Amino acid sequence: MFRAQLKNELRKLFGKKRTYIGFGAFLLAQTLMLLAFKYTRWQSDFERLLNGNGYLASEFISALTVSVVMLIPQIMLLMPLYATLVGGDLVAKEAEDGTLRMILSRPISRVRLLFVKWSAGNIFAIVLVVALGLTALGFASLLFPWKGMFVFSPGQAFSVLSAHDGLVRFILSHLFLAMNASVMMSVAFMFSCFNMKPAAATVLALSFLFVSMVLENIPFFDRYENWFVTHHFKCWLLVFQDPVPWLQICQSEIILFSVSATAFIIGTMAFQVRDIKS
Amino acid sequence: MIELHNVTKKFAGRTAVDDLSFRVPRGEIFGLLGHNGAGKSTAIGMMLGQVWPTSGEIKICGHDVAANRREALMRVGAIFESPAFYDYLSGWRNLEILSTYSAPTPAARIREVIEWVGLTGREQSKVRTYSHGMRSRLALAQALLPGPELLILDEPSDGLDPEGIHEMRQTIIRLQHELGLTILLSSHLLNEVEQLCTRIAVLQQGKKVFEGNVADVKAARGKVALKTSDFAGATRLLRERGLITASAGDRYITLAAGRTTAEIAQALITAGMALEGIWQHEQTVEDFYLNLIKPPVATDAH
Repeated sequence: MFRAQLKNELRKLFGKKRTYIGFGAFLLAQTLMLLAFKYTRWQSDFERLLNGNGYLASEFISALTVSVVMLIPQIMLLMPLYATLVGGDLVAKEAEDGTLRMILSRPISRVRLLFVKWSAGNIFAIVLVVALGLTALGFASLLFPWKGMFVFSPGQAFSVLSAHDGLVRFILSHLFLAMNASVMMSVAFMFSCFNMKPAAATVLALSFLFVSMVLENIPFFDRYENWFVTHHFKCWLLVFQDPVPWLQICQSEIILFSVSATAFIIGTMAFQVRDIKS
Repeated sequence: MIELHNVTKKFAGRTAVDDLSFRVPRGEIFGLLGHNGAGKSTAIGMMLGQVWPTSGEIKICGHDVAANRREALMRVGAIFESPAFYDYLSGWRNLEILSTYSAPTPAARIREVIEWVGLTGREQSKVRTYSHGMRSRLALAQALLPGPELLILDEPSDGLDPEGIHEMRQTIIRLQHELGLTILLSSHLLNEVEQLCTRIAVLQQGKKVFEGNVADVKAARGKVALKTSDFAGATRLLRERGLITASAGDRYITLAAGRTTAEIAQALITAGMALEGIWQHEQTVEDFYLNLIKPPVATDAH
């Protein structure tokens, strides 16, 4: 029964046009960034940086390098927006439209209903990240050769990887990006479980992420950086380091998973005591 | 089928439902009446486990809704005013989605229900293309999917045109006759309630101010209609003989205690007055309801 409920939840989610706004925005942003990289000074500046560090730019201006360059701004700006947009819609939009009342006249428990919705939201988050990675790599491969990878990495100035190694790390990084998207979606989902409009849930979740990012970047809070969820979002870039700091990545992933699960639990508790009225 | 025992619901200090109790036995069509904000929808919300009561106990099909919501609602269907659906999906898909929240429902059952409500041929169209009447039929279809024993209808005729209202009324009669369902009907259409319900309860400001049989309401001692060529002369005569206590307009009289219409007729005929007709004026549910919830007349404090 859970499978059938999840399948139908996904049908509802992917049957809505607004679910695809994020995918459309990613495609547009990637096309524009790719053209900008190819035809503006962006590429020559990047080549200069590589040459200045003793690397042959011609060997590292590749599809993989450009994919990651394109991903960073999209992950910082677009991914939170679309992950929270969908997360904020999951419960609040149904309450606003009146379909939630129809569902809750049936013998399904509220906890189960929310778990189905949250699972569907997580699947959306994974699909969003996979689509983002595939399109970034696909688009970049159209204009750039398949060669070694150069990537900026937190804690290390940059990393240089072979094409094969770069591809493996690129795929691996998307696992962690999916966790980031899941956390963003879960925070919006939590707000969505309270009695509020879907837009309010999305704005509150974005505000939470924005405040976390701002505080994390204030020097005073340097020693408290582990307390900020956005600090752990950066762990996807750590997979490009040599050697890979697995312990640090695991710590961050556990924290991110805990945040996601906590958001679900808080949302469920709020929803459980709520009166659902027309 | 439905049992409410001293149910109260307060929202932020405001009492929406106040110590409400009633029982709806199997097979009955029970009407819940009251003006907007009287507490009908809150009471229905509590029956469906959507609104948590502040105090009291609600049992549906013998199960406590608060403690055992799943069992309580297993054989319950509900329709709300202005039914909401996933407009971007087909009627069929909507039914498929809603059915998974109850129990696994085979496609044959969905087809059967679609046929029953008369939506065959349109089930694959997107709900956004449906008329209001079709949406109501789809709402009914989703309520019938789990094979309910109890149907809770909250303003099911809301927004329908006269034809749609008539169709809905006929459907409710069919539901009881063909499927033997117990029905709780909340409606503003008192004429509809009068035609459909066997018993009613009236809510006012969250409190139950009446509960009883529709037949009793209609047969309650009321006015007698008198048709004669000289109504003023007839009422004067009847008053003098102590047969009536009051008259209203040029048609209605109120009989004195213990008097019958036969005595009135005999008195008028004996007095040589032309009597064209005399009959008990049946009180409508609307008359009864309006008298019941009429605001109290302000009294002078002097």
